[in-house]
Amino acid sequence: MSDLIVIEGVSKRYVTSSGPVDALRDVSLSVGVGEFCTLLGPSGCGKSTLLGILGGLVPADAGRAVVDGRPVDGPDPRRVATVFQDPGLFPWRTTVENVEFGLELQGVPAQRRRRVATDLLGPLGLRDFAAKYPRELSGGMRQRVAIGRALALDAKILLMDEPFGALDEQTRVLMGEWLLDIWRRTRKTVIFVTHSLHEALFLSTRVAVMTARPGRIKAALDLTMEYPRSMESAEMVALRAKLWSEIREESLRAMR
Amino acid sequence: MTVLGLRLGLLALLLAAWEIAGRMMNPLLGVPPSAVLPSLRDLVLLRSYPDLPASLWLTIREIATAYALAVAAGLGCGFMLGMHRLIGGAWGPMLAALYAVPAVVWYPSLMLFFGLGAASKIAFGFLLGFFPIALAVLAGIRQVNPQLVVVARAYGAGTVTVFRKVMLPAMLFTLVGGLRTGLALCVIGVVVGEILGSKAGMGALINHAYGLLRTGDYVALVLVTLALVVGSDALASQLERRACRWTE
Repeated sequence: MSDLIVIEGVSKRYVTSSGPVDALRDVSLSVGVGEFCTLLGPSGCGKSTLLGILGGLVPADAGRAVVDGRPVDGPDPRRVATVFQDPGLFPWRTTVENVEFGLELQGVPAQRRRRVATDLLGPLGLRDFAAKYPRELSGGMRQRVAIGRALALDAKILLMDEPFGALDEQTRVLMGEWLLDIWRRTRKTVIFVTHSLHEALFLSTRVAVMTARPGRIKAALDLTMEYPRSMESAEMVALRAKLWSEIREESLRAMR
Repeated sequence: MTVLGLRLGLLALLLAAWEIAGRMMNPLLGVPPSAVLPSLRDLVLLRSYPDLPASLWLTIREIATAYALAVAAGLGCGFMLGMHRLIGGAWGPMLAALYAVPAVVWYPSLMLFFGLGAASKIAFGFLLGFFPIALAVLAGIRQVNPQLVVVARAYGAGTVTVFRKVMLPAMLFTLVGGLRTGLALCVIGVVVGEILGSKAGMGALINHAYGLLRTGDYVALVLVTLALVVGSDALASQLERRACRWTE
């Protein structure tokens, strides 16, 4: 499998009013085509910063990120589509208008982008909500609109920054199953940031565990189990225990 | 229908009260609506004030000039203070403090600077209209959810696109509200300026009629000015609706 995303020795330091903070130190990671790679780590370990660097929104202080053979030097929505924890829907746009936003910026003619967006609404489960405004949608629906906005770009890479972090437990599980279905159909390469062990085990082909600040990759695990996965299988229970022991220590450090 | 009925009802009630009160007062001071009608007729037929069209036109021109200046300066100043954190932090509070000063205290100095003619009225209308516009821009910029700007950038928007597709629609209601308030205050500024001291314009006519105790003419002139104000606000609300359609 060729590497679609290569991160080499990336570091990032923020200067805050209480002094400099090392968000990332010497992070290296490679992700192959079609992988679902989860970045798992405690809060504030720089997962989002790493995603921001990949998306071209945050410049790295050292090291480099290469996406699809090109070093990242700014947002590149034709290759990389991002979904944020806060869906960030435009309140004056309807569902379908929000979904076609990226295509509009790329200058795709109105009729064609409307057709692309409308075709996406079915799999998003939003067919009956095309003309609704974000304030009329539930939290899970809003996040699906945001995911639709990303999918509409038809970029190879999907960056997801805790997309289900603000949803309730049940919605979260259902959204995970839904996302898995979308991923298996579209064969995107996904980088998914989460602090949920369940999400990491249920969804990914690969889990990278990050350390507490400054963020580094502590361990990377390949998961080969078939989908859909049962969380009760012996293999899963063992993996869960292993991942938990890796991340427990970091979470404790993050709490101090 | 009910709303219209209630409105007309209130209007009829007020007119009736005015009629009764007007008849009981000294005819030099109180004018019932029935006495205003002949004055209004004489005014419109240019019998009482033949220079009405010229005065009306002058006042409209003063308002238009004052408003154009207020919009240009208000938008320019508002965006400069709102987009630039340091400048906004330094000068924004000064702007808000100046707005709190009753603007009429500046009027004598405006007369000294700009004379008795149209310039001082334009300056006063500008002064009143400028603040709500500039402050609406500032408030509008603060209202923009920063996450939306991040999203737009991630989806390939540059500075101009962020401004056009995110900032402007997000702040539109506040901005248009400020522009509308600005227009109303420009009208007030110009008319008040004319009443406080001028040789021409609607305010000068009002002053003249009032000073000579031609109360019927005075009320008729006020009604014409009122029509001008209501008309300008109707125009502004029309533009407001246009602007809202444009964002969609």
